[in-house]
Amino acid sequence: MTPCAVTTGFFTLGKCGQMAVAGCPACGRAVCADHLADGGLCPECAAARNRFGHPSAAAAARRRVYRQRQAQYYGDTVYYSSFDDYDRAAFEPGAAADQDYLDDGDDALVDS
Amino acid sequence: MHRAAYLAFDRFPSAKGSAVHIRHMAAELFDRYGGGLLCVLGGGELPAYQREGAVEIVRFTDVVPNLLDRAGAFSRWAADRLAPHRDTLEICHVRDPWGALPALSTGARLVYEANGLPSIELPYHWPLAAPSTLAKIRELEEHCLQEADAVVVPSRVILKAVADRGAEPDRVHLVPNGADPVPADVPRPPTAPGRYVIYVGALQPWQGVDVLLRAFARLADLTDLTLVVCSSVSPARARPLRRLAERLGVRIRWEHQLPHADVAAWLAHAELSVAPLTAGPRNLDQGCSPIKVWESMAAGTAVVASDLPVIREVLGDHGRLVPPDRPAELARAIRVLLEYPDACRDLGERARRHVEDGFTWKHARARLAGVYDRVEAH
Repeated sequence: MTPCAVTTGFFTLGKCGQMAVAGCPACGRAVCADHLADGGLCPECAAARNRFGHPSAAAAARRRVYRQRQAQYYGDTVYYSSFDDYDRAAFEPGAAADQDYLDDGDDALVDS
Repeated sequence: MHRAAYLAFDRFPSAKGSAVHIRHMAAELFDRYGGGLLCVLGGGELPAYQREGAVEIVRFTDVVPNLLDRAGAFSRWAADRLAPHRDTLEICHVRDPWGALPALSTGARLVYEANGLPSIELPYHWPLAAPSTLAKIRELEEHCLQEADAVVVPSRVILKAVADRGAEPDRVHLVPNGADPVPADVPRPPTAPGRYVIYVGALQPWQGVDVLLRAFARLADLTDLTLVVCSSVSPARARPLRRLAERLGVRIRWEHQLPHADVAAWLAHAELSVAPLTAGPRNLDQGCSPIKVWESMAAGTAVVASDLPVIREVLGDHGRLVPPDRPAELARAIRVLLEYPDACRDLGERARRHVEDGFTWKHARARLAGVYDRVEAH
């Protein structure tokens, strides 16, 4: 039996492990009947189907659109659009405090 | 279509206290609204998309090196994820301004859980951030806190900080963190040393682990005693502290990124648990509700912790308080408690009862449910 390789669980993650009925045509992993999504894809590939391109390029485009949209929404140009290059320079990867001290990633902003 | 969404600019799940917190708070939200959408950070082995019953989990996986840009990209991404549910969304629960902005744009009610304030915490990681930049971030926080239908805080110190940022006092609710009681017969971890004092948590500078190492160096005469550090971060991140421990000649055992369930056993069999938080702006002005202290209390292990307002709130009379940033004082307190094991056991038992009587996650979830009731009633 080939076990289903889709990751499941809310806090404790594991592999599904049920009998696979198909292989995802995009990533090749084995998928059981419960996890088979539209087009015979695994859930992750199905969710990512409409997203492609270089991630950073996509982020840049999203940022631009988002800033414009948010600024319009709030009726002013404060918030994200107000962060200029000077503000952003302090948050480049090399500008972090002693990297070894950082948490699981420098995205760990608010750690309770 | 979902009625509820929980957004966090945090990786989930992870070994950190914040993940334990998200787990319980999100569970209350999703139980109440029959499922929902969880938008969190991904990375590592975490799948970008998961469906668990009625709960949909989506993870932000884009690689955006600059933190501010990443936060902006997360907001935009989250706005896209929320867009299909605009008509049905009744409530959004967020933990930071990066999640709050897209949530506000949906028109759903907003519950802002303020466990930390980026304008205070960011300078620790990003010392080059200019005061003008932090002022802009503070402005962003103020906007989100003022617009929120309810603000949930885990301690009175942070309650004051959010009030200073313009959150209306009658909309701010105190929901302290909690911990689940550890069964009395939990087996001893097979690799545990004979007698040990334990530290559990992350290793950021404000945690004061360096103070603990220096204190432990003063206990070198207690040759049967080991310090166990259960770090929620990887060995590579612990390197400077490992070097410090070597230099001080401390008998120490490092355990990295243990599964949450295993940490309870380590805590329960320790002689003492130490929370040596430092007296910096992060702990004094912003505040916190350290899960390491709650979990030590729930395990029935006596706690020695820094005498800070946030710790007094959690520990009260059920632990031993020492002046922060003072290795000699900390060492003395540990030594005295080890000399009187009966008093130490008694302290641990009282702490455990205190948690059981009012501060388990079940209690925290009930308090949160009360907040949702009020938000819905308005």
